[in-house]
Amino acid sequence: MPKLTLMFQEKTLGEYDCEKEKSITIGRHADNDIVIDNLGASGHHAKIDYLNDVLLLTDLGSTNGTFVNEKLVASHKLRKDDVIAIAKHTLVVTYGDGEVEPEEAASLMDKTMVMDTEQHRALMEKSGGAGTGKAEEKGAMLTFLSGREGEMEISKKLTKIGKDPGSDIVVSGFTVGKTAATISMRPNGYFLSYVEGMSKPKVNGEAVKQSVKLNEFDIIEIGSVKAELTFT
Amino acid sequence: MATIISAGISDVGKKRSNNEDSFLIDDQQKLFIVADGMGGHNAGDVASQIVVETMARHMKDDPDAGETDASDYDETLSVASNKLLAGIHLANQRVHESAAEDENRKGMGATLSAIHFSDNCLTAANVGDSPIYLVHEGTIEPLHVLHTVIAEQQAIDPDGISEIEERYRHMLTRAMGTNETVQPDACEVQYFKGDILVICSDGLSNKVTPDDIHDIVSKEPPDKACQTLVDLANERDGDDNITAIVLRVKSVRGRGMGVVVSILDMIKDFFTGKR
Repeated sequence: MPKLTLMFQEKTLGEYDCEKEKSITIGRHADNDIVIDNLGASGHHAKIDYLNDVLLLTDLGSTNGTFVNEKLVASHKLRKDDVIAIAKHTLVVTYGDGEVEPEEAASLMDKTMVMDTEQHRALMEKSGGAGTGKAEEKGAMLTFLSGREGEMEISKKLTKIGKDPGSDIVVSGFTVGKTAATISMRPNGYFLSYVEGMSKPKVNGEAVKQSVKLNEFDIIEIGSVKAELTFT
Repeated sequence: MATIISAGISDVGKKRSNNEDSFLIDDQQKLFIVADGMGGHNAGDVASQIVVETMARHMKDDPDAGETDASDYDETLSVASNKLLAGIHLANQRVHESAAEDENRKGMGATLSAIHFSDNCLTAANVGDSPIYLVHEGTIEPLHVLHTVIAEQQAIDPDGISEIEERYRHMLTRAMGTNETVQPDACEVQYFKGDILVICSDGLSNKVTPDDIHDIVSKEPPDKACQTLVDLANERDGDDNITAIVLRVKSVRGRGMGVVVSILDMIKDFFTGKR
């Protein structure tokens, strides 16, 4: 929501929210929404209409005039950071954190933009996000049931399992391939793929010919090794 | 290594006057890229071109491509993937530098979505919102991570999405060249004969659903599928530039012969006395 800040010299006298489809009146008389206590201001000096996402300032025939960014105006479409001067008072147009002024937003609607870092952080904090903007990645763990002891965190994007000594999980067995299988961490989850060798990996007892998506508590079997997958 | 049949088309669409998308099909290096440019005074096309050209040169080990300052090696990824990521960092740097040099290019940037095939697996990496899909055995799966305000918000709080207003529809959280550094997302995927991969700009994905894409690329060969996809997006308004790359894994050498290779391995192991 756009805001108007009334200032006199360096002092802030008040803040006013502009509500949609409503008008704000400005003047010396007490019946105005924004009262400017100065003889230089007319009784009903000006008004601001917030219609169709546009803030329109209109001078109501004031004696001393209304200025926007030091220019005399009769009516003016207000933009962010515009400074309205009436008598010795100023009104500054602002928008909230991360808020884009409607007109700008409308023209940018179909254009791709990159949010600047500050804006992004403000938005994420406002909505209770982690601030990094990234959802927490689900980690996964293999608990070995046989053929090996302990457990292992799946930390690589592609975990290689096979006879090759360079594998992340080395599995022995006559029919096990050099890289028998891989576990791949993808945006949609973890996938186990068969790569090579005579014996195919099994998930919950079923041989995997190509690749399958893994679910929590799946039992993976490759050669002599059997392990259970859990998410952390 | 695999044999990949590739095709790509970029179309200006029906509403825009210029095409800010760029794409690369490098069959020799098995490198495929879509970059969707934006910002600046029509400098989006400059940004997307710099991205594509820098990446291609870097992967070719062209000394003109230069070195990247970002030297952080990602231990969770293979050497091949790290090379691709280094290319992304370099391309980001190039766009950023170019934007700083020229007032008319200020604020320009681009998305990047790339697939690179190495011996056994492929690496998919992206920055921004250009999708990468894998079609495998009757399913279509995203290999990209959307770097948009809406997607990231959804991941954190699926119910809070209504809070996010329409104005963030096209708001990215990262892009190539808008900052000094960039953080790409990457994954490594085992590929199989018959797998199909699609890289596109949001001009396509905003108009054509993953299911439609799945149907079309499963029925038609890559070159024809590209045209059908672009035509479909144009029929549905075509209000942005539309780019599509379709790749089909025709054959995978060294694998598929798994049994034979295994037996040969065993015989070799037997004779070399490993057993």
